[in-house]
Amino acid sequence: MWFYNLIVRDLKLAFYSSTNFLFAASFLILILILLPFIIDPKVNQFIQIYTGFIWLSIALSILLTIDRVFESDYEDGNLDAIILTQKPLELIVCSKFISHWIANCIPIIVVIPISAILFGININEIINIILNVLAGSTGMVFIGSAVSSLTLGNKRSGIYKSIIVIPLYIPFIIFGANQESVLVLIGLSMFAFIFSLFTTTYSLRLYVE
Amino acid sequence: MFYKLPNTLIDTLRNWLPVFYSTTLVTFSIGLYYAIYNSPPDYIQGDSMRIMYVHVPAAWLSLGSYSILAISCIAWFVFRNPIFNLFAKSIAPIGAVFTIIALVTGSIWGKPTWGTWWAWDARLTSMLILFFLYIAYMMTWQVIVNKELAAKISAALGTIGFINIPIIKFSVDWWNTLHQPATISKLSAPSIHISMLTPLMLMTIAYLFLLITLFLIRYKTELVEVKISRIKH
Repeated sequence: MWFYNLIVRDLKLAFYSSTNFLFAASFLILILILLPFIIDPKVNQFIQIYTGFIWLSIALSILLTIDRVFESDYEDGNLDAIILTQKPLELIVCSKFISHWIANCIPIIVVIPISAILFGININEIINIILNVLAGSTGMVFIGSAVSSLTLGNKRSGIYKSIIVIPLYIPFIIFGANQESVLVLIGLSMFAFIFSLFTTTYSLRLYVE
Repeated sequence: MFYKLPNTLIDTLRNWLPVFYSTTLVTFSIGLYYAIYNSPPDYIQGDSMRIMYVHVPAAWLSLGSYSILAISCIAWFVFRNPIFNLFAKSIAPIGAVFTIIALVTGSIWGKPTWGTWWAWDARLTSMLILFFLYIAYMMTWQVIVNKELAAKISAALGTIGFINIPIIKFSVDWWNTLHQPATISKLSAPSIHISMLTPLMLMTIAYLFLLITLFLIRYKTELVEVKISRIKH
């Protein structure tokens, strides 16, 4: 029950500060607005460029929002309070992952079909892209949260984080931008889940003790 | 922290370093003599093949020093002795420079051979990523001010990078391949002639001594730094 309550609390926080909830989706649309200026949508193989742009903007929006997973709670001391409840730290971290994924990736997935209509992508390809994003974005959120937990409370670690995170995103981008590889993405996400769970609990124990 | 460091190590290193300097010089002179004058040119590539004698050892040792870095990070997790952090910290910049040497000489070699400076295949991409892993590892010590914390975080980061390299290699391989397969992967019957293998091995030994010498210099510096910070406290 406390697990569910923790998720609801984080989602409420994300919802009431309205910038959080809308950030990822509006970022995706703004990046896609730039796309027709770069390349004509009627060109052959446009679908590849479109999927590439989707993945690029997902990677960037996750990179820009991963600070919020632990940072704000760490600053006002809530993270210490949550950890002091003596609940398993792994489960607390899991709930953080889930709430961050819901707050940032669900809006993206909602927005993708709308943008696909604007660019005249057909329905099968939209379904393919959405399945890939569902499978891949989870792993990307896990990795991003793990890396952001490495530098808790550090104001000047923006570039540092992106240097670590972008190499870790390469497999997701490769398999995500090529369709018909949902199973590989699910595998990668599960692998990422295990590793980011260990890394995050390790560094949270270092910072909050 | 740093309570188990032997005190006499700095003096021992100071006495032995000149030996390593001279060995590096001698092995490099012999290796370069063989590589430039005493080996045949390739019958397809001509003299541009000689870049291999600079390129291949640097590539091997850049991977090798990342393995040493990762193994010392893992060893820190096992033994919790800060000496392993200093190992990893001292070898990181050397490995980064070797990676740059491998990348630059590789692209100079690629221009006459493949007709292009760069190809986005698995090996080249993973070498480039390796360089950024080194950068990320070195930045950890800069970004995190608390040295004790930086040691712990960087150990985790070195391990993550070690796991990441094969995954990237696999996924880029799946995506595209252009590079020739490895020539000296099997030690029993190498597909390279003995007259070219000799200078290559000599240059590898020379690079190895260069790596060891630079590593010992940096390691000594780290030990002195620890000593100074101990005196300050």
